[in-house]
Amino acid sequence: METQPVVETKGLSRYFKGVVALNEVSVSISPGEVVGLVGDNGAGKSTLVKILSGDLEPSAGQVLIDGAEVHFRHPRDAKNRQIETIYQDLALCENLDIMENVFLGHESYRNPLLRLLDRRRMYRETSQLLEQLAIRVPSTRELVMNLSGGQRQATALARVAKAGARLIILDEPTAALGVNETRNLLDLVMRFKEQGKTIIIISHEMRDVFEVTDRIIVLKRGELVADKRTAETDPDEIVRYIIRGRD
Amino acid sequence: MTAQPSADASGLAVRLPAPLVTLLRRRDSNVFFLLFVLVAAIVFFTIQSPYFFDDRNAFNIGRAVSITGIAAAFATLLMISGGLDLSIGAIMNASGLAAAVIMVDPENSIILAFAIALGISAFIGFSNGIIVTKIGVNPIIATIGMQFVVRGMTLATRSGSALVRDRAFLEIGQGELAIGTLEIPVPVILMLATMLLCYLVLRFTQFGKYIYAIGDNASACRRAGINVAGMRIALYTLSGLGAGFAGIVLAGLTGAGIPYAAGSELSVISAVILGGVSLSGGVGVIQGTLLGVLLVGVLKNGMTLLNINANWQMVVEGSVLMIAVSLDQLKQRI
Repeated sequence: METQPVVETKGLSRYFKGVVALNEVSVSISPGEVVGLVGDNGAGKSTLVKILSGDLEPSAGQVLIDGAEVHFRHPRDAKNRQIETIYQDLALCENLDIMENVFLGHESYRNPLLRLLDRRRMYRETSQLLEQLAIRVPSTRELVMNLSGGQRQATALARVAKAGARLIILDEPTAALGVNETRNLLDLVMRFKEQGKTIIIISHEMRDVFEVTDRIIVLKRGELVADKRTAETDPDEIVRYIIRGRD
Repeated sequence: MTAQPSADASGLAVRLPAPLVTLLRRRDSNVFFLLFVLVAAIVFFTIQSPYFFDDRNAFNIGRAVSITGIAAAFATLLMISGGLDLSIGAIMNASGLAAAVIMVDPENSIILAFAIALGISAFIGFSNGIIVTKIGVNPIIATIGMQFVVRGMTLATRSGSALVRDRAFLEIGQGELAIGTLEIPVPVILMLATMLLCYLVLRFTQFGKYIYAIGDNASACRRAGINVAGMRIALYTLSGLGAGFAGIVLAGLTGAGIPYAAGSELSVISAVILGGVSLSGGVGVIQGTLLGVLLVGVLKNGMTLLNINANWQMVVEGSVLMIAVSLDQLKQRI
């Protein structure tokens, strides 16, 4: 018997004022899998990811988590099911420091009734977390506006690790990174995989996709055109699907 | 501290000393700047007028700014979150009038007056919040519309109240509290207490943290699972409550419900902005608002003592605001 998929979509569609952004997409992702989601601009990758993150509601079709249908109305709903997303823009607050961003939405309290923040504890936990993830930053008190692209990414990743996600979605994580930073990120993805987390990664970089994924899903104009095991395909074939779609 | 990276100062025509650059880069550098200007203004007026530096005069200034200050404290929270409330003056009038009309009848209790006046204010603020967040109307338009609606309804109900004779109610605006040898006006104490409350909220609570976070990146907050719409509605409601409380204090001060506060939202907002809050949200501290309110009060009082015509006072007030905001813009190039 096959294992129960962590997340599954059935005939998932989304329309924007008559434009079809996603057209009857059915995918199934097993626990511990690292899946690459590729396609040209406007292929529907972000739309699919936003629906899974609760940032957008589907026009038709179903999303199933652990085999049961869910209706996400707010990102909070997805987070409650341990789905965490790192958006392309990283969704950080520039005017807050690293710790405040890592704990955004997951604060620890000194007094739960008044919601008084336990800042000392959160700073300590952030330092420990960054150490575990082998992420180096100048200080957990540094404002995000003063961080480099890689450090920002690390902050966003630390937030996801903090939240204890089962399914991690990464939207174009390497787009804004340098060579070393990309390396660190891919290492981190592998570490998440070792911890048994399920990962969906959107990327344009074929090299990155082939390095970390088990399976690759190709979208074109909102439709699923290929769903291949990474070991059984090659970059040329995937690029062909991206450009030409299904033969 | 370590040396400044060379890239930092290279864009500047004038090289600034490193400690000054560090000071200017602080989140609350406005506070230092305002403190400096405030002290300078006090020194200037003390030299120019023998009546200025005196505790009676200080309390005159305090009493004059307390109404604006109370409303400004809550407006600061709203504005840091990126919101704006132009119905503050109208709410002050509605609330003050409602409280005074109730208090004119000696049978009625002060608690009833507070409950009705603050209830009306909170409802108006809540309505602003719903219109802005749930319907998506721009805050400027929504709250200007609300300003007209509330002003019209207030004047249609009553053009004013008779004189209030209730001692307790008048004490709120006219009373003094003896602390040591000083007789501190009650409105000043109320303003400082309000500011302190808002300071503690901003500094130590999750609500305060989310105010800054939403002001910087509301969509990131939503994606982090925060109830952004709920936060915004709460902040508009608080802004209404703050304005309503200021209106009650004003009614206590004047001893009747007279719609004096029309247009005072602009004094409130300009004090908040002078204090370092950006209209686009995400920055500002309550200490800045306190100093902004005090600076305007000191300038008005000092100029009055120097017999400077009210028209010119307006010119100075406006210029100070523009200079402060311009300097803040220039600061961002450092």
